[in-house]
Amino acid sequence: MEEVVARLNITWFIAIAPPALSFSTGLVETVLMRMLLDLSLESRAISFCEEYLKCLYLSCKPKALKNTYNLCLFSMSEVAMAVVKPEMKSYIWLQTVDGSIQQVEEEVAMFCPMICQEVLQTGMGSSKTYAISLPHRVNPAILGLILDYCRFHQVPGHSNKINEYLSVLRLKERKTFDEKFIRMDTKKLCELTSAADSLQLKPLVDLTSRALARIIEGKTPEEIRETFHLPDDLTEEEKLEPLRNITDDPRIRLLNRLYARKRKELKERKKLKDVEIEEEPKDERSLEDLLSFINGADGDMKGTRANKNKKKNRRRKDQAKDLSSKNANENNKVRLLPQHIRLGLNLLPSAFHNVNFDNSLEASASKPSRMQTFPTVNFSPKFEFIDGDVDDDLDPAMKEELDREVEDFARRLNSDWPERMQILSLSQDRRLGLLVVLRYDSGLRAKQAVMPIIERVIYGYRLLIRDSEAVADNSTSKVSGS
Amino acid sequence: MGDVVGPDLISDLPQSIIESILVQLPIREAVRTSILSSKWRYKWASITQLEFDDKCVPFSNDREVVERSVVKFITTVLFLHQGPIHKFQITNWKLQNCPEIDQWILFLSRNNIKELVLELGEGEFFRIPSSLFNCRKLNRLELSRCELDPPHSFKGFLCLRSLNLHQVLISPDAVESLISRCPLLESLSLSYFDHLALTICAPNLKYLYLEGEFKDICLEDTPLLIEISIAMYMTDDIAEHFEQSSNCNFVKFFGGVPNLEKLVGLIYFTKYLSIGIDSVHISITYHNLETIELYQVNFEDTKEILVILHMITSSPNLKELQISGSSNIPVAVDAPDLDFWEKGCFSDSALNKLKIVKLSEMGGWRHEIEFIKYLLGRSPVLETLSIIPCVFDMENNLKMLIELVKCRRASSRAEVIFINE
Repeated sequence: MEEVVARLNITWFIAIAPPALSFSTGLVETVLMRMLLDLSLESRAISFCEEYLKCLYLSCKPKALKNTYNLCLFSMSEVAMAVVKPEMKSYIWLQTVDGSIQQVEEEVAMFCPMICQEVLQTGMGSSKTYAISLPHRVNPAILGLILDYCRFHQVPGHSNKINEYLSVLRLKERKTFDEKFIRMDTKKLCELTSAADSLQLKPLVDLTSRALARIIEGKTPEEIRETFHLPDDLTEEEKLEPLRNITDDPRIRLLNRLYARKRKELKERKKLKDVEIEEEPKDERSLEDLLSFINGADGDMKGTRANKNKKKNRRRKDQAKDLSSKNANENNKVRLLPQHIRLGLNLLPSAFHNVNFDNSLEASASKPSRMQTFPTVNFSPKFEFIDGDVDDDLDPAMKEELDREVEDFARRLNSDWPERMQILSLSQDRRLGLLVVLRYDSGLRAKQAVMPIIERVIYGYRLLIRDSEAVADNSTSKVSGS
Repeated sequence: MGDVVGPDLISDLPQSIIESILVQLPIREAVRTSILSSKWRYKWASITQLEFDDKCVPFSNDREVVERSVVKFITTVLFLHQGPIHKFQITNWKLQNCPEIDQWILFLSRNNIKELVLELGEGEFFRIPSSLFNCRKLNRLELSRCELDPPHSFKGFLCLRSLNLHQVLISPDAVESLISRCPLLESLSLSYFDHLALTICAPNLKYLYLEGEFKDICLEDTPLLIEISIAMYMTDDIAEHFEQSSNCNFVKFFGGVPNLEKLVGLIYFTKYLSIGIDSVHISITYHNLETIELYQVNFEDTKEILVILHMITSSPNLKELQISGSSNIPVAVDAPDLDFWEKGCFSDSALNKLKIVKLSEMGGWRHEIEFIKYLLGRSPVLETLSIIPCVFDMENNLKMLIELVKCRRASSRAEVIFINE
């Protein structure tokens, strides 16, 4: 009997909904399942179910009504279920950053974890006046896209054999939907990724980032910059690239950039008084330079080999042992990286950034540059140098100078307070003091460890400012970059 | 070259998104993003998954050159990397035993490594340093062509869920203790082991894959096992050893796996199970077993057929059966023991859920025909039975077909497909 009915035209069956009362619930289940599997008929399955339930209700068959209701609960998608209770269909109100308010079906909106959380925790979204305000990264157009995605990808939460079968079919459908869905221009794709991330919709984030990765893959850097409108602000290094780029190895490219930076840095040290204001990104670069400078001041002419770097590091370490007077705690070891430095520097008063301290403050003015001393911070005994890359083709004169500078640094660190308070350096070099090199463990701990140090640095700097202002009457404090 | 058309689209996305984009690029492309712009300088350096395969350095015919450049590349990436590394994978065939690998593993052990895959090239086996055993958070470990020697004080990887050892030199005791000391182990794969008599105690084990010359396999404590795949190679001395043993391998192997869902047995597995089977009465039922695949079954040996019959009748929910014969054609004069099929201890049971049967490498043995008759006669819901003969000898196949046509079928919908091409 079931088979006979199942093979009949489904439309005919829907038309005869009231008499369907006389059929057994098992039969209805079979029919419903067939309709649902034929996914194009889903909406009709829903209306059939609705009709059937109404009939059952009107005919006062509570048990049959309950059974069928349970059936709908377990074997249909939640959209269908919502339709089955028409008076109880609920909507959620969402407000985007531009003020416009939208009404969205509850199940669709609840697919987003962030909205779900808002509703459950604060109870917002139930009416127009209490609309849930979405994060600023979600604009109305993107919201429309996201809701389309959610509407399609809702999954019935129950697990039984019927739904397993349904979900296999659904998987194929979903893949085709996804492929079509992400065909949009790059700008929209980036906005969508950002919005999905702010709504915590992980499947959509994965889908969009995969699409973005596919866009990036295989393109030359120029093409990538063009696609994403990235500023090309690494010109100088790139100019050097063709000269030195023996292979396509990214490692060599990184090396070249460091060489270039260091060369520039050393040349600039000679022209300190004429240095103009530079922007912060450039500051960072000089920092790397200094990192490798510390590393490479004493180096061999050859060698980017790992074992040679180790040798250098070991020599560096031995030297560093002399540099420090105290043994810092192993646990405080954190590697200060450009972003940390930036973090620290951002806290410094901005005027201070650009002040150039006069050479006249120092006792002996012969050296063109000095290193900033560190009044209050404890050093770790080991300087561990991050970069294995070393520039080895400095001319001997420069090398000499660098040697002297390192030794001077050492002397100053070991000396006592008044001498330390002398401001020696200008521009970039004073940042050298921030190079408290510690071992890196994890990002969060690094920040926590770095913060007290940065604070002390700031304090130190403030003292220095105060003293310098006191000392220098006729100081020619130029606003200079670093 | 500073012309920018429109605002920057992508550099200001949160780091987690950038990371998920970079992780889906090959490592070379990901590192190359460092020259895109100043903001992208170090975005690649904090990705948590590093995968180095054959394509991570430019191609060259000289293996030495490639190896050196791979080593340099990996070392520099690790040097410049910031943050934890969760996944580290090397599947580079040009890379062989070199001292830098020790340092990389040491570095990784300090960086919360969770998944480690090392597949080096042919050559001298690399000896895994002891720093591997300090990786507390290791979740997945996959090693190929290495030498592993856990220290005595090793307490096990407490988070390890998946272990895959392929051509690894390790002592049998070390393997057993390694397995038993990883309480969360869910998936175990051991291949190319020689002369191993293995006892597995892994209370959470779900997937087992073994391949090699095993002397003996004993599943001592594996109640949650869902899927088993065993390829047992046998040399003559192992076979001898079997003949002399009086245990019932079937019970020893399948005694403790009530939740089994899929079984795959290759090479000599059925022969291994057949030892001692006729002496014992088997009463275990596998309610979840739905798929059985057995290869290289020798239909000449009634004990092996007995194994199959036991398996089939102990699995009331069996849906799919795949049997591959032994690619031999019967010699002309052959008087098989047909009483075996008449004996009747199996003729009462029906295979109520069996839907798909695939038989391949059928040589036309008398027992094969009887087996097909048995299946057809007892599977009321059978849908397809496909037969692939091992040799395309028209006369032999014709004889087979004539016999098959005579068989009674319990299922009206059964299709018998004979593939003769």
